[in-house]
Amino acid sequence: MNFNFTEEQTQFKDVIKSLLADECTPSSIRDGWSAKKSFNQSRWNKISELGVLSSNLSEEDGGLGMDQVALALMVEEMGYAGLPEPVAEQTFLVNDLMPLFPEGLKDEIKSIHESGNQYIALAHPLSPNPLFLGHAAALLLFDESTYQFILKDDLNFKPLASNDPSRELSAIDSIKKSISSSENFETLNSAVTARGSLMTAALLIGLAQKMLDLSSAYVLDRNQFGKPIGSFQAIKHMLADIAVEIEFAKPTVYRAAHSLLDKNPKSNLHCSHAKYMSARAAELACKNSIQAHGAMGYTWEMDLHIYMRKAWSLMACWGNEDKQQDIIYKTLTTSKDELGVLYTF
Amino acid sequence: MHLLKKEMQILKMKINFTKDQDIFRQEVRSWLADNVPKESLLSLDTKEGFEQHRQWEKTLNSGNWSMVTWPKEYGGRGLDLIQWLIFEEEYYRAEAPTRVNQNGVFLLGPTLMEFGTHEQKSKFLNAMATGDHIWSQGWSEPGAGSDMAAIRTTAVLEGDNYRINGQKTWSSRAAYADWTFGLFRTDLDSERHRGLSFILVPLDLPGVTVRPIPQLDGEPGFAEIYFDDVIVPVENLLGGDGEGWKIAMATAGFERGLMLRSPARFQQTAAKLLNLYIENEEHCSPMMQSKIVEAWAQSESYALSIYHTASKMLAGGSIGSESSLGKIFWSELDHMMHQTALKILGASAELSNSSEHDAAQWIKGFMFSYGGPIYAGTNEIQKNIIAERLLGLPK
Repeated sequence: MNFNFTEEQTQFKDVIKSLLADECTPSSIRDGWSAKKSFNQSRWNKISELGVLSSNLSEEDGGLGMDQVALALMVEEMGYAGLPEPVAEQTFLVNDLMPLFPEGLKDEIKSIHESGNQYIALAHPLSPNPLFLGHAAALLLFDESTYQFILKDDLNFKPLASNDPSRELSAIDSIKKSISSSENFETLNSAVTARGSLMTAALLIGLAQKMLDLSSAYVLDRNQFGKPIGSFQAIKHMLADIAVEIEFAKPTVYRAAHSLLDKNPKSNLHCSHAKYMSARAAELACKNSIQAHGAMGYTWEMDLHIYMRKAWSLMACWGNEDKQQDIIYKTLTTSKDELGVLYTF
Repeated sequence: MHLLKKEMQILKMKINFTKDQDIFRQEVRSWLADNVPKESLLSLDTKEGFEQHRQWEKTLNSGNWSMVTWPKEYGGRGLDLIQWLIFEEEYYRAEAPTRVNQNGVFLLGPTLMEFGTHEQKSKFLNAMATGDHIWSQGWSEPGAGSDMAAIRTTAVLEGDNYRINGQKTWSSRAAYADWTFGLFRTDLDSERHRGLSFILVPLDLPGVTVRPIPQLDGEPGFAEIYFDDVIVPVENLLGGDGEGWKIAMATAGFERGLMLRSPARFQQTAAKLLNLYIENEEHCSPMMQSKIVEAWAQSESYALSIYHTASKMLAGGSIGSESSLGKIFWSELDHMMHQTALKILGASAELSNSSEHDAAQWIKGFMFSYGGPIYAGTNEIQKNIIAERLLGLPK
């Protein structure tokens, strides 16, 4: 039993954290909003040059063989920075499934990876509107019983506006040509669903922490009744409540990531648990942060909503809190003898 | 990143028990199976029940299980925190009796380990392990509750002794305990948290009067202690004269942190709650499902967090104000779970004397769960600590 990160895992996290602190500032995100181009190619290239986009591919597929725990820690930082580019999606939803795809499909994906830093988008009933399709080389499309691989040139799609302007979404109109398969569907579908829950959970942890940090800074700065509003207990307690929720959501994310790494038979339950806890933490972070900011929090000018909007979207994608609750409930009631004190690990 | 990877040492994260840990678990399990009393003991807040629980402490000690993390020379086994968590899991799973000496073994014990002299450790830890000294807590006073630095009970140094005068209150277990530990003002000119000292006091000394206070369940789980010219030798001072506040904060950290409320306790309650719901499902609203999930999800999160913390501590880390986060989390969780149980039981939840009904236990636990957000520093005080020390907000 060693529920500690390796030096390697935390070092990856630190590298991405410092890159994003420079490259993914609130003003750069706003620039993307006003230009209606939230996918920043130069930022994407810098992330790619670090090896992040292929970091979790196996070494023989040209990656670093990074494990899911290290990946979750990095994705948490992407949430913290409010990164618009779909790096988490590429790594968690596409790369991490590589070993499960049939050979033909694997080769297609590999050739896209080899041709450079190109993006493969993904759509699934739990997150049906693919992100940044305009910047993708191809789309992986899951439906109820099959999955398809479609090159972008074989797709007709139109843009959908998101409440989070840094999420450029699309609706698919028609497909000219695709590689379609139902081989290994159940396994793949369950794997992508679990990863979708875990990925959004890790992003939400980062976003919740960012909102808490912005709020802590704001209440120190804002004076009323002759002192910083952060000295009033009503404000302190709202922010402390967020800190508690984040603290107890975090280990569920790390455990779920470890369960994927460890091929734990309960990894789906663990991923649902992570999303359930993180969505609740993020929801409270949104509510209490805007309250702590007062009317300023309700303005377009204040940066808080950059992160709040992303959190609202991600809470809903890949199964919201209620959907995860149903999954957990079913697992608890069908295997109750296996749950409890002795079955945490 | 490519470069980084090659240079780094890999000490793998591994969230599974080792073979040795599994063997240890089996050892605990089989000892408890042989020794946990078949019939539940009387309430530890009655005179007879208290002695039964003292006897259980002696039985635990006969198997060397009093406090597995202590060094062998003080009655422990010299084991690590992960093994302690395993011990606790088995302890709750076996439904073994409540530790009547939890003030001693979980709070004063670790404090002595950190601040005590060899003689103090030798004397007090061993007597704690054997159940000969059962401890109560002596922090609060009528004028010093959440504002603990307002303590006024004095201990004046006279030669080799302290002369103690004043009053403590809400002193857990004091009705029947042998000793109390707490903070006393040794510098009469001092103010607030300066000039306080951490002193250990036997409750059978002349001048000590204990007045039990019946709690919500009608039993005296805490008491007032009056000190009227009580003479205590200077050897009973823990740490330096005037260093009491620092030591008390460490003790409070142990209390809020992982020691007093190990995750197994809440996981066991969550599992029982799930069973209670399944037994009563046909006359429950489906809305209760969300509470069942919440109970499981939060108790599981608490366990994960504690294993995460224990792993960090084993790697040389320490726990500070973070313990306040945990205290809020487990106390609110415990209350939510008991409230849910009562909702499931519906109108029969009030049946507090029926031995064939679950209700009696749940209603007792329910009342006790109201104490969680109050004792060990109210949750409002914990939120102030979080805001000021973790989030950097002003006093």
